[in-house]
Amino acid sequence: MLHAPQSASRADQTLSLNMKLLAHHELEGFGGLGEGMGMQLTSDGRRILWLAHESAPKNFSGVDVTDPEHPKLIVQTELPHMKLRSNSLDVVGNIMVVAYQATSVGIKPAGIDIFDVSQPETPRLLSHFDCSGPYSRGVHAVWFVDGRYVHMSSGASDFQPRNPLDDQFYRIIDIIDPEKPVEVGRWWYPGTREGDEAPPPPRLPAQFDTGFRTHNTNVFPEQPNRAFIGYIDGGAVVLDISDMKNIKVVSQWNHSPPFNGFTHTVLPLFDRGLWIVSDECVQDNGADWPKLVWVVDSRNEANPVPIGTFPAPPYDAFAKRGGRFGAHNLHENLPGPTSFRSDTIIVGSFFNAGVRVYDTSNPYQVQEIAYFVPGAPKLSPAGAIQLNDVYVDDRRIVYTVDRFTGGLYILEMNI
Amino acid sequence: MTWSRDALAGKIPVTLVTGFLGSGKTTLISKLLLHPDMRRVAVVINEIGEIGIDHDLVTLSSENITLLANGCICCSVRTDLQETLRELFAQRRVGEVFDFDRVIVETTGLADPAPVVQTLASDTLLAAHYRLDGLITLVDGLHGVGQIDQQTEAVKQIAIADKILVTKTDLVTLDHLETLCGRIRQLNSQSPIEFIRQGEVEPKSLIELGLTSSRASLKTLQFLGEALNDAASADVTGTGRYLGQRSVAHNSAVKTLSLRFTEPFEWLSFSSALELLTTLRGPDLLRLKGIVNVDGEPVVVQGVQHIIDTPVKMDRWPSDDKDSRLVFIVRNMELDVIRNLFQAVGAIKSSSASTS
Repeated sequence: MLHAPQSASRADQTLSLNMKLLAHHELEGFGGLGEGMGMQLTSDGRRILWLAHESAPKNFSGVDVTDPEHPKLIVQTELPHMKLRSNSLDVVGNIMVVAYQATSVGIKPAGIDIFDVSQPETPRLLSHFDCSGPYSRGVHAVWFVDGRYVHMSSGASDFQPRNPLDDQFYRIIDIIDPEKPVEVGRWWYPGTREGDEAPPPPRLPAQFDTGFRTHNTNVFPEQPNRAFIGYIDGGAVVLDISDMKNIKVVSQWNHSPPFNGFTHTVLPLFDRGLWIVSDECVQDNGADWPKLVWVVDSRNEANPVPIGTFPAPPYDAFAKRGGRFGAHNLHENLPGPTSFRSDTIIVGSFFNAGVRVYDTSNPYQVQEIAYFVPGAPKLSPAGAIQLNDVYVDDRRIVYTVDRFTGGLYILEMNI
Repeated sequence: MTWSRDALAGKIPVTLVTGFLGSGKTTLISKLLLHPDMRRVAVVINEIGEIGIDHDLVTLSSENITLLANGCICCSVRTDLQETLRELFAQRRVGEVFDFDRVIVETTGLADPAPVVQTLASDTLLAAHYRLDGLITLVDGLHGVGQIDQQTEAVKQIAIADKILVTKTDLVTLDHLETLCGRIRQLNSQSPIEFIRQGEVEPKSLIELGLTSSRASLKTLQFLGEALNDAASADVTGTGRYLGQRSVAHNSAVKTLSLRFTEPFEWLSFSSALELLTTLRGPDLLRLKGIVNVDGEPVVVQGVQHIIDTPVKMDRWPSDDKDSRLVFIVRNMELDVIRNLFQAVGAIKSSSASTS
């Protein structure tokens, strides 16, 4: 052990393996970013990385990353008030969908905005789809990759949850006419809505009870009749959406209990019959550890079988480093032209354990092959980096964002 | 989703520095540690005390690890090298040791480097995170000729080296050096020789001697070496070109043999032949390097004695030449032995194919 001034692993220390920092952009002092990252290829050949902010006052930012070593902030927008967050966005062609979630129920606006970003410096609002209501905080996450359907985690004015923690469910919005979005499908966990026949689902112990509500709602062109849902304390839920008016459950897999809930992302690797399922850590200082990334054998989709977990970053080095420690977002193999796609290499953000790259070629023995843990960003209330989300482009450049102050980190992988 | 990972790019390269007792390893290492280009390099040595580092240049130190002002990490072997390399990686991952991207290992004077190569190839953790980048052998400019004549270990160290550093060149005449180089060339016809004095060497001349990527490039050809181009067809007796012809008259038991096969191999028959060869003649098979046509795909193989590294499938052929080409450095072995063995295995394969 080195006799360093403090304990050996320090929050101000940058750790890296096979990843090199190309550029760091603090977004003009508003470097607290959520989990919305999307890349637009403009008609004049520029790459614009769109980023949703974690909290007010900023809404979203557009960063020109055509030259990843010299990112340029080209636009940064404001939210209408401080009780709102955008958190999530997606972009297809020149259409961008942005989520709005309020700090409590009943606040407006809450829902989604649809923008025309063909002139990225001046996004033009096409429409707003209202999801506010007496029991709704609005929209937490959107998935929009085919140019037509927005799959989202949302409340609704007509939806009264039995437990206020269960306010967001799966909704599908058709934006074939982006000026007139319409709901075309919805599904919620049986027993969570007032009036349901099913009994309410048994809850996790109070300290881990984060709700039976949706987080990521992913649908891929490889299998457009399936929705892969991270249903938080309800686990991984796969739905048959071939008839959007009559959505059926295909399978459910939940590691909790005995684990501590919060299933966040279900990422299918279609060619390999696997799902990569990530949790989200939501408590500081390792209080909800372990928050993991799981490998699930889905060859028989009705009977998903967990076969392993990704090697977790070392607990001793990170649990008390500051802020949250554990899994969160994965790069989701988006179908667009600017997204990296791999059925073996998985890249994830792990809050204070940075961004990490895994090789799942052997699904029973996943290898960690690269990582980058930035030193604590200036003025961060967590006192450590809190990497919240990650996007990898087709050039295999990795973009990752801090939850509080650090902004955008652009990295190159040597893998 | 066709993009696939480079099988080698993410692994931390390890350079082994070997050389007979008194050949100048300690001098070289103590100079190297202080070189400005040694940032993010971990140097594993036998005994920190031997090196004598100026205290003003030490940033942090502990029982067995010293961080120098230039960012070089100097680590002494505690129990054994295997354990030390495992520990270093684990400590790097948790931030207890500063990030290093390269390791240089000083082997002990009498040591046969082959077991170290074996450790790197066979330990699961080490094989996953490290790759052997090169073997550097120091040859004493003053006493090298005598050592080659009398010490089998010195012969082996030279024969398997990827690069040879001749030391103490300020103490000898040009004629003497020429004689020495001739002797070295008999044992190792391919690897570059560099003359150094007072242990002064540029770190960059010690690195990237191995196969650094599974993506074919000019570097792949450099790694495979020019002896491959001269590889004789398996149908004709041939030996690799000797670059230093001066002392060919001195009959050495160590030889470089090159073979070329125009017919593609099936992996099973190729690996069986190789396995048979290493089982029967492992101690005499000092080094093997080459590119093999396996059902049309290029696969790089390399080995030291009975240890064959994990074969690396390249993304494409590095040149238009798609023949299998192998270079062996052997002791007391004739080309026929190797050629016959490969042909026999091929014959077994074809006879079993014809009877089935």
